[in-house]
Amino acid sequence: MAVEIPKDSWAGSVRVVTLGATPADGGTRSHTIMIGGQNTLPFMHFEKSTPHRPVIAVEIKDRRPEDWSGLLLEIWGDAANDPATWAKQAEVASADLLVLALTLTAADGSPTTPSMAVGAVKAALAATKLPLIVLGPGQADADNELLVPVAEATKGERLALGLCEDKNYRTIVAAAMANDHCVVARTPMDVNLAKQLNILIHDMGLPLDRIVMDPTTGALGYGIEYGYSVMERLRLAALQGDAMTQLPMMVTPGFEAWKTKESKFGQDVPETWGKWEERAINWETLTAMTLVESGADVVVLRHPESVRRVHQAITDLMTVPETV
Amino acid sequence: MALSGIQIYKMLPQINCKDCGFPTCLAFAMKLAAKQVELSSCPHVAEDAKAQLSEASEPPVRLVSLKANGHEVKAGNEVVMFRHEKTFYNKPGLFLRLKDSQPAGEIQAAAAEADGYCVNYVGRDLTLDGFAVEAVSGDAAAFASAIAAVRQASHRPLILISTDSTMIAAGLRAVDGENPLIYGANTGNWQAMTDLAKQHHASLAVIAESLDELADLTEKIKEAGVKDLVLDPAARDLSQSLALNTQIRRLALKKNFRPLGYPLISFPGEGSDPAQESVMAVHAITKYAGFIVLDHFAAETAYPLLVLRENIYTDPQKPIQVQPDIYEINNPGPDDPVLVTTNFSITYFSVANEIEGSGIPAWLVVTDAEGMSVLTAWAAGKFDAERIAKTIKSFNVADKVNRKRIVIPGHVAVLSGELEEELPDWEIRVGPREAIDLPAFIKQVL
Amino acid sequence: MAEHIITFENNKPPVTVATGTLLAEAIQQATVSLNQPCGGQGRCGRCAVRVTDGTVRSRSTLRLSAEDVAAGYVLACQAVVESDAAISIPPQEKIERLLTTDLVSAEVEVPAGYDPHKVQNVRRVTLTLPPPTMDDQTDDWNRLLTALRQQADFGTVQASLDQIQGLGGVLREGDWRVTATLDAERWDCPGCPARLIDLKPGHTPVETPLWGIAVDIGTTTVTLWLVDLLTGKVLAQVAEYNGQITRGEDVISRVIYAGKNNGAAELRDLVLTTINALLETACKRVQAQPCDVVKAVVSGNSVMMHLLLNIRADSIRLSPFVTAINDIPTLTGREVGFNTHPAATVDCLPGVASYVGADITAGVLSSGLIDTEAVTLFIDMGTNGETVLGNRDWLVTCACSAGPAFEGGGVLDGMRATKGAIEEVWINGATFEPTFRVIGGVKPRGLCGSALIALLAEMALTGVMDKGGHINTHRDHPRIRDGEHGPEYVVAWANETAHNRDIVITNVDIDNLIRAKAAIYAGFSVLAERVGVPLEMAEQVLIGGSFGKYINVEKAVEIGLLPDMPWENFHFLGNTSVRGAYLALLDREARARVKASAARMTYIELSADNIFYDAFTSALFLPHTDLSRFPSVQAAVVS
Repeated sequence: MAVEIPKDSWAGSVRVVTLGATPADGGTRSHTIMIGGQNTLPFMHFEKSTPHRPVIAVEIKDRRPEDWSGLLLEIWGDAANDPATWAKQAEVASADLLVLALTLTAADGSPTTPSMAVGAVKAALAATKLPLIVLGPGQADADNELLVPVAEATKGERLALGLCEDKNYRTIVAAAMANDHCVVARTPMDVNLAKQLNILIHDMGLPLDRIVMDPTTGALGYGIEYGYSVMERLRLAALQGDAMTQLPMMVTPGFEAWKTKESKFGQDVPETWGKWEERAINWETLTAMTLVESGADVVVLRHPESVRRVHQAITDLMTVPETV
Repeated sequence: MALSGIQIYKMLPQINCKDCGFPTCLAFAMKLAAKQVELSSCPHVAEDAKAQLSEASEPPVRLVSLKANGHEVKAGNEVVMFRHEKTFYNKPGLFLRLKDSQPAGEIQAAAAEADGYCVNYVGRDLTLDGFAVEAVSGDAAAFASAIAAVRQASHRPLILISTDSTMIAAGLRAVDGENPLIYGANTGNWQAMTDLAKQHHASLAVIAESLDELADLTEKIKEAGVKDLVLDPAARDLSQSLALNTQIRRLALKKNFRPLGYPLISFPGEGSDPAQESVMAVHAITKYAGFIVLDHFAAETAYPLLVLRENIYTDPQKPIQVQPDIYEINNPGPDDPVLVTTNFSITYFSVANEIEGSGIPAWLVVTDAEGMSVLTAWAAGKFDAERIAKTIKSFNVADKVNRKRIVIPGHVAVLSGELEEELPDWEIRVGPREAIDLPAFIKQVL
Repeated sequence: MAEHIITFENNKPPVTVATGTLLAEAIQQATVSLNQPCGGQGRCGRCAVRVTDGTVRSRSTLRLSAEDVAAGYVLACQAVVESDAAISIPPQEKIERLLTTDLVSAEVEVPAGYDPHKVQNVRRVTLTLPPPTMDDQTDDWNRLLTALRQQADFGTVQASLDQIQGLGGVLREGDWRVTATLDAERWDCPGCPARLIDLKPGHTPVETPLWGIAVDIGTTTVTLWLVDLLTGKVLAQVAEYNGQITRGEDVISRVIYAGKNNGAAELRDLVLTTINALLETACKRVQAQPCDVVKAVVSGNSVMMHLLLNIRADSIRLSPFVTAINDIPTLTGREVGFNTHPAATVDCLPGVASYVGADITAGVLSSGLIDTEAVTLFIDMGTNGETVLGNRDWLVTCACSAGPAFEGGGVLDGMRATKGAIEEVWINGATFEPTFRVIGGVKPRGLCGSALIALLAEMALTGVMDKGGHINTHRDHPRIRDGEHGPEYVVAWANETAHNRDIVITNVDIDNLIRAKAAIYAGFSVLAERVGVPLEMAEQVLIGGSFGKYINVEKAVEIGLLPDMPWENFHFLGNTSVRGAYLALLDREARARVKASAARMTYIELSADNIFYDAFTSALFLPHTDLSRFPSVQAAVVS
């Protein structure tokens, strides 16, 4: 019996966003990273080829994050003390690009200053040739205060700056527009909110191909199913032709997974959870892979072993089966 | 093809007799469209309409159920491609594979360990569902004794693996009276396997290298009298497996293609290390497997997979809730304020985000208001003084802070009096109505 | 328990209360009038009083400014008496009474071909009885029955004890000539059973009107039409705020209030007071007496109906949201408490569910939805946002809590559409300066619903705020500033206003308004989706509710309150509820038809799953997250 394979044919496709700029385009990166461009659901190679594979960003900080799990601090060792060394190590761990997340305060508790932030970003840029995403500390005032000078000091590098949120996006978007950067638009696990923020940012005049959306996820066991379904719905809407959802998606499974008890702690946890390190890496890897299945274009990870596993899995998923 | 409520309504008698238990024919039609009632609840439906409606309500993916000793594992009956479209109904069964080449003692020990594994996740006990015993020795007696060894340790349903019908026959005799899954039938052995499945009321997995072949085989086997089939499109790498599982599900759901309207079986562990097995299993859980056969068992890999399965198979139609708990925002200490809100996720997020964003440390007590927002929950009697007091007590909030003072949302200022009675040692403060005003309130008023 | 003396500034006698008494209760004890629009929930801030001596413990200072608090203001409903205190009560903001009256309202058209002989169940007949003689010692009652049978074709007739008690007197006073008013199932067929409503001595002239009333009990407004049942003409239309408002602005607050101590009885008295006052006013206009009214038809939402009849209403607000009764049997004026004729027939129209009451079934009748073939969307733009979709074959209905924002509630400078309310606003896109029109042409005091709709549309269009409803504080303009409640836009400066305070719209107000419009939009769009009928299939949109009279369609579409359709598809019907009651007052068949339509209506509980929530968040944007639903708005923005 000849079975006719049902192929979906979509009206829309995801926009391609280019992160990083080479000297030819006014930056200093050795190569750029392109994300998006899909015209099918993830990895449906039998319908259309996938133009750009999902990429892995490794998250580094401007100073040693003492609140991170001991497993992470141990594996990165002294590299975590310095953004430049950390960036190099992340590149060795086969990161496709870097996320530099700025801390709210310096080690002595005083607020991180614009010059400290600019210094950390420049150090990370100098240490590797990878494209870079810079995230503020996550408080509106601090984000605006730090990201504007960062944007100015790195004009032309085509960073992605984040996080734009519905109540605080104007300053970051304006800085990105003026300095040829992209932005990351974050909304809390809701299709409508994601789309609304894209519209608001676009209304300011930033072209859609300079917006990456972060629809937010929960970790495995902590609401991942909401993030998963929101991403599936956003991607379906994009393919159906809804322009305001046709943006690549970035999610932070590393951040989410490593704040769970399952990853963070090795002691005072049930025996049925098994060995700590393998469990923690599994938690991060499974969270990331679930989101890759639902359409993530950038997954931000923390542990080098998770990076290795997810990288391998994405390579497998990108392999076009012979029968197709 | 799914019919809408109005389409079904037009086939009903439209007499609003309430005999079905619903107030109107349209209400009943909408329940039918949502597959929440059976057509048989309507005693007045005409025969021709009945035929039409029954056709529409037959499940596009057949329900297959494995049973043993009171345990049951079900797969199939799925109606959507994406969980947000409705929900995924039957969680894929997780089975651990054991081989008859291992000594019986080892098999029994491995089965005992996996069988006894039980991990608690949000109040639910999660376990594996059964075992797959594979005949690799070529010796029917060894196969039967391997099965016996598993049965010494576990009563859970079994999958019997061999393409040799004599092995399967021996295996089936060892589990007489159960409804196991035979894995499986292929173009070479399907007749013998079909006979065995019929004889022992077993389900039968069908293996083929292409969908064409697979469809041919299921039709022949169905013709020969076995309907409870499970499909193995024989892909063992991620990319191919994702494509085939998707194609089969689409054919069943969108084309109503009966020859492939059966649950799928996946073998993520074949030829890979445990780490890769987990990654493969993610895909099997999210993308349509009905039965998953693992080759490794360890708590640290089983736990995340069991949790993922729970998460993906959670009904997304239920209100989005956060776990009632006391949440720590910006590392609060004993002198920091205690705020109370409901467990509707958006309510929680807006409150938590405002505080998080302000940098003010605080304790956020989330009350079980059945996933409703503050005003809705209050109006429905799900966010009252009694519930708030119970939450404060059950999370031992008093042990965490020096000053016994809670801030309730401004929308429920009316509760302050009753709360004072319920929590006599506590100071009750009325906060702002909107989350956006919280940081200023905490800074200026508290 | 310790007791404390509370004294008042304005010569009211002091009261003594126990420790822990709410200040609001103490004030009520002193019989001083105090408005509590939110029902004493500490939400509205309207019960602010000043403590001039002593102290009280304040649970909440919501809606009071820091200066107010410093000056000793407290919310009476949130203040607990713990010592002696002296209280000063500021003059209560009087609720203005500029409501629809027959002086301004359009004349109601009597249904074509109205013939009381065919469709009216109340009938007045004049009878001449043969006086009793020694040969004919028939008792008075049988004498009357015989006359009714012979002269008016009535069969069995029921009467109450007091009617029997008065019977002998009336017959003799009129010298065996009497006028009887009866309620009969049918009186165009002989031998019909009937109930005696009234018996008067003498023959009432035929042209004397036979009075009936149609009453709509709204959560906010009560409307009453006085009708001559013989001609069908509406001879007086009066309206007044529902007296229950001071005990809560929305139905939930009222139900909760009813559950407290004597709340239910109090609420019943309040609404009866309002209705009887309206009856009095209406009767005065036409030189009639309230007791001449022999028939009343009442419409209103389920909560209002329960509270009118003092029926327990708690179950309406608690899951699974059931009423005590949807279809109330025929009652009499005396039972209900109307100052009509005590035996007057009182007909309460049937409802469908807790949140879809008789106001909606009456609306379905009077809007013509019940008869039309065209798929019709009927929206009642009230606090409860009820919607009906369907045609004469099928009807689905839902309710969603829109809240009072479009009636000015929950908005800082919001007010009802009365004198002094800004009703229309325009903003200059270049200067961001507003122009506005005020009802009554006076200095403004606040913003009414139509102004709020216009403001949302204008602010979004001019970029004063973004489509998410966030005021753009990056714009450097004196009218855009950070206020006590966050960012706000100044509509009128203090020197332009009646109360010498700035009139502003805040980000919080905007959020409330967007939520209200999103609830209404999500309500009807989900309703359509649930039954599998695309919204575009609706051939007409009927808009009911007194609020519906004022809104500007263009602006309402621009903010995504109404669906984007050709404007000629929208029909504003005004108060469809009272009109439905009026039709049922005239035509006994109408009630049966309302009842039949109620039985056919399928109520859909929107809160049952996430679909409504999703549609709601999708609508929390101007005009909507899915711009393709608003092509005309999109086109306007592009141009």
